[in-house]
Amino acid sequence: MSRRLQEAEEFGSLESIRLLARALRYVAPFKGRFALKLGLLCLSLLPLLVLPWPVKIIIDHFILGVPIGEQPLAYPAVVRVFTDLLVGRTPLEILLWTVTVQMLLVFLVGAVGTGGAERDQAEAYLASGHDQATQTENEANAGFSMASGLLGLFDFRFTIRLTQALNHHYRSSLFDRIQSLPMTAFDDERIGDAIFRVMYDTPAITSGVYRILLTPLASTAFSILIILVLSSVFGNHPIIVWTAVAILGIAFAATVPFSGALRRRAGRSRRAGATTTSTLEEGLSNILAVQSLGGEGREKERFDADSWASFSRHRSQVALGMIITLCAVVPAVIVGSRVFYYVADLVIEGTISPGDFGLLFSYFMMLTFACVEIGALWIRVQEAAVGLQRVFFLMDLPAERDPDDSFAVGPLAEAVEIEDVSFSYPDGTPALRGVSMEARVGQITALVGPAGAGKTTLAYLIPRFIRPALGRVRFDDVDVEKASLESIRSQVSFVFQETVLFDATIEENIKLGNPEASETEVRRAAQVAGADEFIRQLPEGYRTQLGRSGGKLSVGQKQRLSIARALVRRSRIVILDEPTSALDPETEQRLVSALREASRSRLVMVIAHRLSTVRSADQILFIEAGRILERGSHPELMAKPDGAYRRFVELQTRGAA
Amino acid sequence: MSQAGPDLSLGQLGTGNRDDRLHFRLILRLLVRCLHLLRPVRGHLALLFLGFTALALVFVPVGILLMDTFWTRVLQGGALTAPQAGLLWLDPAVFVEAGTLGPDQRREVLLRTIVVGLGFGLAAAPCAFALYYYRVWILQKVNQVLRMRMMERLQSLSLRFHADSKIGDAIYRMYQDSAMVTQLIDVLVIAPMGMLGRFLFCVVVVAFFDPWLALILAALWPPLLLSGYWFSRRLRVRFRTAREANSALTSRIQETLQGIKVIKAYGAESIEQARFEADSRAAFDAAFAARGLLAVFVVLLFWVVVSAIVASTGLAALKTLRNDPVLVAALGFSFWTLGLFNYFKTRFGDGAGQLRQFFRTWGRTQDIAIGLDRVFELLDLEAEIVDAPDAIPLEEVHRGIRYRSVCFRYQPDRPALESVSFEAQVGTISAIVGPTGSGKSTLMALLLRLFDPQQGAIEIDGVDIRKVQVASLRASVAVALQENLLFGTTVRENIRYAVADASDEQVREAAWIAGADEFIGQLPEGYDTLLGERGTKLSTGQRQRLSIARAVLKDTPILILDEPTASLDAATELRVMDNLAEWGKDRMIFLITHRLSTIRRASQILVLKDGTIAESGPHRELVARKNGIYRSLVETEEAPIGATAAGVVQ
Repeated sequence: MSRRLQEAEEFGSLESIRLLARALRYVAPFKGRFALKLGLLCLSLLPLLVLPWPVKIIIDHFILGVPIGEQPLAYPAVVRVFTDLLVGRTPLEILLWTVTVQMLLVFLVGAVGTGGAERDQAEAYLASGHDQATQTENEANAGFSMASGLLGLFDFRFTIRLTQALNHHYRSSLFDRIQSLPMTAFDDERIGDAIFRVMYDTPAITSGVYRILLTPLASTAFSILIILVLSSVFGNHPIIVWTAVAILGIAFAATVPFSGALRRRAGRSRRAGATTTSTLEEGLSNILAVQSLGGEGREKERFDADSWASFSRHRSQVALGMIITLCAVVPAVIVGSRVFYYVADLVIEGTISPGDFGLLFSYFMMLTFACVEIGALWIRVQEAAVGLQRVFFLMDLPAERDPDDSFAVGPLAEAVEIEDVSFSYPDGTPALRGVSMEARVGQITALVGPAGAGKTTLAYLIPRFIRPALGRVRFDDVDVEKASLESIRSQVSFVFQETVLFDATIEENIKLGNPEASETEVRRAAQVAGADEFIRQLPEGYRTQLGRSGGKLSVGQKQRLSIARALVRRSRIVILDEPTSALDPETEQRLVSALREASRSRLVMVIAHRLSTVRSADQILFIEAGRILERGSHPELMAKPDGAYRRFVELQTRGAA
Repeated sequence: MSQAGPDLSLGQLGTGNRDDRLHFRLILRLLVRCLHLLRPVRGHLALLFLGFTALALVFVPVGILLMDTFWTRVLQGGALTAPQAGLLWLDPAVFVEAGTLGPDQRREVLLRTIVVGLGFGLAAAPCAFALYYYRVWILQKVNQVLRMRMMERLQSLSLRFHADSKIGDAIYRMYQDSAMVTQLIDVLVIAPMGMLGRFLFCVVVVAFFDPWLALILAALWPPLLLSGYWFSRRLRVRFRTAREANSALTSRIQETLQGIKVIKAYGAESIEQARFEADSRAAFDAAFAARGLLAVFVVLLFWVVVSAIVASTGLAALKTLRNDPVLVAALGFSFWTLGLFNYFKTRFGDGAGQLRQFFRTWGRTQDIAIGLDRVFELLDLEAEIVDAPDAIPLEEVHRGIRYRSVCFRYQPDRPALESVSFEAQVGTISAIVGPTGSGKSTLMALLLRLFDPQQGAIEIDGVDIRKVQVASLRASVAVALQENLLFGTTVRENIRYAVADASDEQVREAAWIAGADEFIGQLPEGYDTLLGERGTKLSTGQRQRLSIARAVLKDTPILILDEPTASLDAATELRVMDNLAEWGKDRMIFLITHRLSTIRRASQILVLKDGTIAESGPHRELVARKNGIYRSLVETEEAPIGATAAGVVQ
């Protein structure tokens, strides 16, 4: 596991708040839709207030035959609107009307009574497993409504689209950020972890934001409504309200001390999930090595351990959640029983009828739930904070970005100059020490030297895959330190030592750097690279789908494809890192002549240690231990008695004996 | 069910397969097939069931007693029954024998009810939580078992399969699809037994009161079944699309990151970003389509069910008004009173609610079934290379290897090897040369049984390798691959990959033979240095030497080196080849290379061209042939050296 990603593992409450505040800023572009959702939320809470009344109307006015207006309890305003219309009607009419209105309500807003079956919420939560990743998928597509019926459906669709829009926005931003990390960053990070962050950590933003923005406002509004209805119907019972407020306090006080512990566990759970993904991804990418080396057992063991660890971590999070619930619920229930007693006492005294107990108490329950939502807000938001931290950490890694005063460097005319450059890798190993060189357009420059001498590092300077710690890189006498990345890289085509091909057609792979290239251009480039022949022998030719990592071609064929890819770009600078290591001598010679041809109007740089590749270069730079020891053409360098290059060549050829 | 053969890859399965091939019977079969996955945990499941039953047996009666105490005694003032008085520790003389209870007595009962209720609740809560935790543990175990099976299957599938499939898809199946197995208990057991059981109970009870009302309850089935039927298939199709879209998104991320170097070098970031956003949007749209339809189904269920509830409430109100007699006197009710009205409402609502729950679960089950179907798509793929039933382990290699007229094609129209025959003895080095794509690596892949030839056979000591156990065969062959695939662990762990229990001494020796010991010593933490993703912190030459060390450490009778020195400079190459020659004195070494300078010491050189052996023999023989391929290859490589010595630039 990369050490880098372990940084800032644990964080405190202050950091949580900062993370959440930052998440809120991200939501700013969506504030209009949020306001609408809030409106819908409040709207969908209204039917809840209507719930118990229709049945009461039926009981009191139909079954018991009490005329409207003479029933023991006053109706709340919203219900009175309806009952006023019923004054003076026969009981049967009242029944029919009430039933009709109920049906209408069912259809429109989906609320009829207080029974479990009679209320509903429009939702579409799918089954998930007992691990972090699968539970997040429901979060990422969270659509919910407090109501059902048509209102609920509309609310649901609106909500799910809002959640998705938010999540799409975040994970696209994160993906963009990851792509813009400097190349050296990818030496340490593991792909599986990045997948996990993009897919399963980003939804934490929406869930956190929903909890902060929607819950308090909606719950407060709802609470006020209930209190109003309560007082208008039952008169003043302050104990109910105060108990609910006390429960809010309990919910808060009982849960807050656990926030640190919950964050830690949530963090561990997510990290374990990411590790499992990485193990899985690596084992599958390297399947050739795994099968050839008989490593199946080992990979299975690794995955077994990692996967079970991620399950365990998730379980410990669940366990802590249950403990927290207990700590909050127990005092809350004890306190709430005071109200239970109080209301039952009202019945015993005869202030309200037994049937009304359910009514009053259910209002109390609703009020309590709303209060608990507010009180437990902090603890609920902690898990989201952990996901947020993982996302923002990646977003905050220094990315490659053009400085504000960047300029676009013009097309290369003459030469690239590297002046006095020194560079060390992040772990301290020095790679280049005070290196200076010049490579001209119209020439082939070869970088030669023993393995690990710094040849590739030197070449990486030109397209600015790395930045010099000291010294300058110049394009035509122009210092490109502040040049825009795009203007530099569009001029450089780099062929890497390890071929990278994508699961697309051969043609698409070649056109990667130049999507506008015509078919003829693609074919020409393939010919020069020596790839056209074998491509045409494939059943589908250029349209052959390459499959994962181009797994159906030999290494040499893949190498030729990546050379073709570089050539089709028609860039001024072409750098090839060990382009011939997997090629047979014949193909190698053909490539070398092609490069000679190409170098007429280009700057070609070749890194190699095969003599046959470099001997015809115009300029050979012999590099050892991060320094350029000798420079010149092949005959010049060979003429030096005791020259480092000459010794190197002789070793090569002597090895042939 | 899928009938995938070895040539069918996951990449081809499940995409573009918009036709839904699951129907009700198949879903049931699928779920039942999963039951055997519960077998390893059946003891735990039994224990869990016992736990819940015990909990219910203790607390449910108490709950019922307390509920009744509250509703009829406290609120309405009736006298307690003996068990209730006992539960609340009240004097039966006062509370049971008296006809009704006065206000103070009711308050007393209320207080005790609350206290006793709280007490039992507080005792029950931790038990319930513990049982829930246990349940989570069990389900995770089942999920883990399934994941491991899928892992095994993935590993045993041939490289041909892997070349065509996407890693992201495998990841998605291992995570999201396999997680559906945790829903088995809910779907197969709780839903049918629990929900339907309760429904049946409610129908019967309601029937006692009025058969017509019970009929309404029962009559909910046809419309619900119909809508279930109408929605099921559509839901399944959409769920499958959603899963595939998310899987594709995972693949996109994986591939982009795998090739990020090239993407950055060629400035293709914006193209990849656009592709990502398109895939992301597609995934969300698919999820919306699926969940939106599910929500419609859920709301529809609600409408149907609650309409029935409302209608029946109205009818029941009528009966209550008229004080109708019930059909069968039960539970203390003989006539339709207000009390019965309330009770009826609860029962009817409960029954209807259970039915609604049941169909909602059915809606979700469509997704679960699709997930499990995708899991079994993978598990049903047949491994190409399997041990023959009578396979014997490979003990030692005494004499040598023989290829007899081996023919192999990757795909029907792409021949790779045609009629290849040769022999190699123990104690020799065989070099394999030829233009790229001539089949050199394939030749060796067959020896490892990564594939089996279509025709011909490969024999070790006269025994066809297909008669040998694959594991023992591969344990006898060590490979240093051309592609130098390393893992993100320490240097030491990478070298030890194939031999986990090798000592540090052995590791160092292998590294020395491979010419890697020196540069490892110069690394910041030596052998404990952590390599980056796929070992990217090292140069290619260094990785090559690690691969060789890894192969050498395995200490096998057969060693295959595929372009082992392609990225090494001449001095290092010389050293390594010298070491290997010494080390390989009693072994068989196969050397695939372009570097003709390295193979002069080979006992025989096989020249491959277009999938056949064009020439074979030792170096001096081949180089003497006029117009020989080998000769021309050597001349191409050597020519400039002669020119160089004369100082003439080509």
